[in-house]
Amino acid sequence: MSTAARKPIDWWRWSGRVFLLFLLIFTVLPMLWMVLTSLKSQFAAMQYPPQWWPAEPTLENYTKLLDPSNSVGQEFLRYFWNSLYVSVATTVIGVVVAIPAAYAFSRFRFPGRTFLFFSVLLRNMFPAVVFLMPLFLLMRWMGLVSTHYSLILTYLTFGLPLSIWLLKGFYDNIPIQLEQAARIDGATRFQAFVLIVLPLSTPGIIATSIFSFIGAWNEFVYATVFLNTKDSLTLPVGIQRYFAEFATDWPGVMAATFLMSVPVVVLFLVLQKYFVRALTEGAVKS
Amino acid sequence: VHVPKKDVAVSIATGHGTSALAAALAPKHFGLLQRVVNHRADYLYVLPALVVMMIVIAFPVYYTVELSFFKTPANLQMKDKIFVGLDNYVTVLTNESIRAVTVNTLIWTIASTFFAFLLGLGAALALHREFMGRGVLRAVLLIPYVVSAVAASYVWKWLYHSDFGAIGALAVALGLTDKPINFLDNLHTVLPSLIVVNIWKEFSFAMIMLMAGLQTVPDQLLRAAQVDGANAWQRFWHVTFPHLKNVSMVTLLLLMVANFNSFIIPWIMTGGGPAGASDIWITQIYQLAFGRQRWGLASAYSVVLFIVMMTLGYFYVKALTRGDESRAG
Repeated sequence: MSTAARKPIDWWRWSGRVFLLFLLIFTVLPMLWMVLTSLKSQFAAMQYPPQWWPAEPTLENYTKLLDPSNSVGQEFLRYFWNSLYVSVATTVIGVVVAIPAAYAFSRFRFPGRTFLFFSVLLRNMFPAVVFLMPLFLLMRWMGLVSTHYSLILTYLTFGLPLSIWLLKGFYDNIPIQLEQAARIDGATRFQAFVLIVLPLSTPGIIATSIFSFIGAWNEFVYATVFLNTKDSLTLPVGIQRYFAEFATDWPGVMAATFLMSVPVVVLFLVLQKYFVRALTEGAVKS
Repeated sequence: VHVPKKDVAVSIATGHGTSALAAALAPKHFGLLQRVVNHRADYLYVLPALVVMMIVIAFPVYYTVELSFFKTPANLQMKDKIFVGLDNYVTVLTNESIRAVTVNTLIWTIASTFFAFLLGLGAALALHREFMGRGVLRAVLLIPYVVSAVAASYVWKWLYHSDFGAIGALAVALGLTDKPINFLDNLHTVLPSLIVVNIWKEFSFAMIMLMAGLQTVPDQLLRAAQVDGANAWQRFWHVTFPHLKNVSMVTLLLLMVANFNSFIIPWIMTGGGPAGASDIWITQIYQLAFGRQRWGLASAYSVVLFIVMMTLGYFYVKALTRGDESRAG
């Protein structure tokens, strides 16, 4: 592609840059406005024309949310902790269950395997509302409404097909000869799996984990139906209930959405490579 | 576990049929039972996943279908439900609002998918060439896809605010309008406004998929085309684009399914309003079930939606598993 430099003006390259600049502005401005608003007092935010730059920037919205000694802060930290607990539990259990299943799908040819695999995949097609009503009744019957088990169980199941699919892609890329060599050296199939395959699939496990963590952290629909007590809410639902109560506290809501976004954005930026791989794995095959 | 060579060959052969699903289900050859017994240990690996999925997937699907034939009590004591046959389906399909909701759903799904894909394709092509800050730019563009839809909805709701919204004020400051536009309370602007949010949220998904797809385009082929005198557009259309076909199919289908199923953005930002102008199928079902406690009717809605999704799902699996079966274990 270096040959493009020969031409005096490469219109394609320049229109590409202009387009990227447009996309950058489109992407960043809303996020910037969120941060700027979160640094204003409620009074300063509700002005027309707006203060494009906060005249008296303040951190009061953040200190209010992060201070456990007032009721708003107490609730916010509670929701934050709930979200963290549910997301971590979902991720850990999900990966543990998905690893053997993905390995089986990648390595074995058993009757019905194709069918099982498709049923795993098709799950991604079902709209959440189809499951909302029966699952709510199921949770009520099991006495799990307003407990975090209801969410963990649900996220687990809905995360599994994707986790299996992602991990299978990684296992497919590990040459089976490595395992065969280990078996010849006297390892059992299980040993070969634990000692050879598992370490090699670490990137896949990381990728799958970020994916299910972000999915669980951001989930709203099930959480809003399954959780009814104030103490049990996760962040997305908590913020929605808070807004329903204080509909004019825009700086407070912006600060809360900012804080809610921090963990997933940091996780994404640090482990970007794995995330991108997880996103494209399977869909793009040569 | 011993895997006989013959069996591997057979399962590959059956997987190649027009419908791999049917092939896997039908006892194509004598001795299926024998093969199941031979492979019994293999099922152990899949069992934990299967058991959980059965409880949380098979049961709800069955139960939704069942409920769709009943009139359910508002207190949700399902033992009191009354069998009404196909009444719920008749109500769903003859309801006067169904047309408007379906039109909204189609506009929402198609416009979101189309523009997200278009922006993603442009971004992928522009980002394909190596330049300073490319990685950073890609990461920044991906942030909206990573953050929660609830966060995105509130940020945009605030941007669109009728009195203090930044977009309205900006339009006035630039002399485009005399006073701030009320984006979300206007029958004509509400749906496009929500679609913009959705595109903001998901265009980078298409971008990342297509960037991965672009890497499969052989450089030699592009250079050869250039040597043969093809211009930039011809190179794109005749070399790059055919290589992107498969990825594009999968990306479009995934976007379509996600948009068809999306709930959070319309629900948080407008709740389907004003006057149902941004009501789509999912918000309608949710409102019926959890706003008005009419679960039988909501279930019938879900089943119809479900059928549409399965149709899309069929094409998704077909696009996705092309070539997957040729890999033997």
